[in-house]
Amino acid sequence: MNNKQIKVGFIGNPNCGKTTLFNAYTGANMKVANWPSVTVEKMEGSFQYKDYNVKLVDLPGTYSLTSYTMEEQISREYVMSGTADVIINVADASLLERNLYLTLQLIEWGRPVILALNMMDILEKQGMEIDLHRLTEMLGIPVIPVNAGIKKGLDILIHTVIHQKARAKITSVIYHDVKTDLKNRYAHNHHTAFFMMYSDEIEDKINVIQEKLKEKYPEIYNKRWHAIKILEGDRAVLDQYMIELPVDFKCYYAKEIINEKYDFIDAIISEVLVNKDKKETFTDKADRILTNQWLGFPLFLGIMALIFFLTFTLGNRMKDYMLMCISAVSDYVQVRMTGAGIHIAVISLVVNGIISGVGGILIFLPNIFILFLALAFLENSGYMSRVAYVIDGIMGKVGLSGRAFIPMILGFGCSVPAIMASRALEHKRDRLKTMLITPLISCSARLPVYVLFSQMFFEKYAIIVAHSMYVIGLLMAVLVAFIIHLFNKRKTEFDLLLELPEYKIPSVKTIVIYVWEKVKDYLKKASTTIFIASIIMWFLMNFGVEGYTSDITQSFGSFIGRKIVFLFQPLGLGYWQIIVALIAGISAKEVVISSCFVLFGIQNMTSQARMTNLSNVLRGMCFGTLNAYCMMIFCLLYTPCIATLATIKKESESWKFTGICVVFQLLLAWFVTFMFYQIGNAFL
Amino acid sequence: MQLNTSKSGKRYKIQDMSLALEIERRIETLGMTCGTVVTIMNRQCHGAVIIKVRGSRFAVGRNIAKHIQVNEEANNE
Repeated sequence: MNNKQIKVGFIGNPNCGKTTLFNAYTGANMKVANWPSVTVEKMEGSFQYKDYNVKLVDLPGTYSLTSYTMEEQISREYVMSGTADVIINVADASLLERNLYLTLQLIEWGRPVILALNMMDILEKQGMEIDLHRLTEMLGIPVIPVNAGIKKGLDILIHTVIHQKARAKITSVIYHDVKTDLKNRYAHNHHTAFFMMYSDEIEDKINVIQEKLKEKYPEIYNKRWHAIKILEGDRAVLDQYMIELPVDFKCYYAKEIINEKYDFIDAIISEVLVNKDKKETFTDKADRILTNQWLGFPLFLGIMALIFFLTFTLGNRMKDYMLMCISAVSDYVQVRMTGAGIHIAVISLVVNGIISGVGGILIFLPNIFILFLALAFLENSGYMSRVAYVIDGIMGKVGLSGRAFIPMILGFGCSVPAIMASRALEHKRDRLKTMLITPLISCSARLPVYVLFSQMFFEKYAIIVAHSMYVIGLLMAVLVAFIIHLFNKRKTEFDLLLELPEYKIPSVKTIVIYVWEKVKDYLKKASTTIFIASIIMWFLMNFGVEGYTSDITQSFGSFIGRKIVFLFQPLGLGYWQIIVALIAGISAKEVVISSCFVLFGIQNMTSQARMTNLSNVLRGMCFGTLNAYCMMIFCLLYTPCIATLATIKKESESWKFTGICVVFQLLLAWFVTFMFYQIGNAFL
Repeated sequence: MQLNTSKSGKRYKIQDMSLALEIERRIETLGMTCGTVVTIMNRQCHGAVIIKVRGSRFAVGRNIAKHIQVNEEANNE
């Protein structure tokens, strides 16, 4: 079988289902959700269709080829580079009118384009219909209806791709200039009626610029497109191609060009779309309540409170079963290894180091599972962008757009994707600010710390105490943003401009994939980072200058911890074990917990007894409720984990900024914990 | 009148905008061109609005909304 290569790029408006389509073809499980700009990087995949090896590229969503944000630039560069043989323009059929703007730009660019109309079912549900035949006629490109969710129309679409590739020698756009030789190339005269023409004033200018370009840069592909871009004042094109134009030559028609494109779209829509805007949709009704100016904010707080309530109550109940399983494993291993006469140091490493450390993390899996299940609903229902709107007023006061709140909510799950999501913000300074405050939002890795310490020290108030951590984190984030805003001299006007998608009931498959990916990440972390950290911890605790020692006070760990204990004394955390656990926690925040078990030498694995044991050891050291609370606050606020720091470095492209993040959060954690401890001490 | 003082549930025609060039182009790209009719779906007290334009819904912050001049459309449903 001869194997031909074909490269296909998916481009389209944000939230139109490109990634769902990509997943449907490649079988990949790239993240999808129901809010704009979920994909921030281009993703590649491939599959086999007949004797073609099809290489797919999924691009971040963009409304136009005039790029404003980082992710839009990625898409534009890809299209301009000409890497793709065929571009598939994925469009949400129910939002055809707006989606066509990008389509017109792509057709103007002149490479083979296919319009894939996704979400035809939603369109039908809204009582609308599209005359596909007429649409094809008017655009002059193939239009294929697909349904990415249930994999309908996939074969036809890819079949069309192959046709288009075979047909398309790269030619210039078909446009209405009867003076050129296009007439000969397209003997059928009606071809010239296919694509849009601008008003005479603009067309004349296009001709002039095109001539200039031809003189100076004869090698440029599609001069008409470049001429239009010059008239649109496109920076990238203007900088690359400098042409001299007559004096008094008005050269800025961006507004007119956009308007005329929309006039053309109006003409198309009035021909092809039947029953536009007839029904009031479910979304309109739901929005009346969820984004209501009085109810919106309380409802949001209620939803978040419910999520955390479920995470802690349901999660804790399931956690006890996990605990039983793990202690059973631990006991079994210990008995078998002792029976086999294995050296005591090795048994200690396996049971007290690895099982205790990794197991100490695994028991929190139910909590994590419920939290991510809830976040999956939040992300896939379409509520996410509403939150940005509801919170916009408050965020405006601290100098951020409501848009910046999306990364913050994602931060409740994990800081890494949250920081990546900040790419959707337009201004670099907005992005940096969001990156600085996002790690203050309590991520799922910090959850085990709260669950454990609140249960040990606050018993029936445990849930309230754990909740308070989330509130403190959020308040600190807002406060920090506000302080930066106060001292920021170059104030820009922050503004929200965000699409609100239709509400959808998330598909079971999407939710399952979402949650499974997160649980998998968590298990992976437990088996790698935490596994290794547990072993290192065990060595630090059991080896000293004189080799293996069972006296923990002689160990390296003890030595390190004691050196800096004075710094933590005023925070109520002046215990060398706690300090070592906190340092270890920079590898991943869960490690604080696994280290505590290893550090305090907790071996008793029988369910509840283990926690009571740790609690007793701590209390015996005068580590009381106030200390426990301070410990939780410090964990909440101090330096983010390595993975987060690496992401901050990657996204900010600055070591300096990353350094600032580290030092800033360390100081912030120290200061806030200090205040709490000192004030708490004065009153209790 | 400005978009930020519009009333929820009414339809308005965009007359003019006076924003920074880049934001203005961006808004137009999304379909909010002069002469387009927008429906106000929702408005918050501080002036952010949700509008429906060409079939899509957008949340528009106050600082943008206050720079968009609109006229109420006569025939409201």
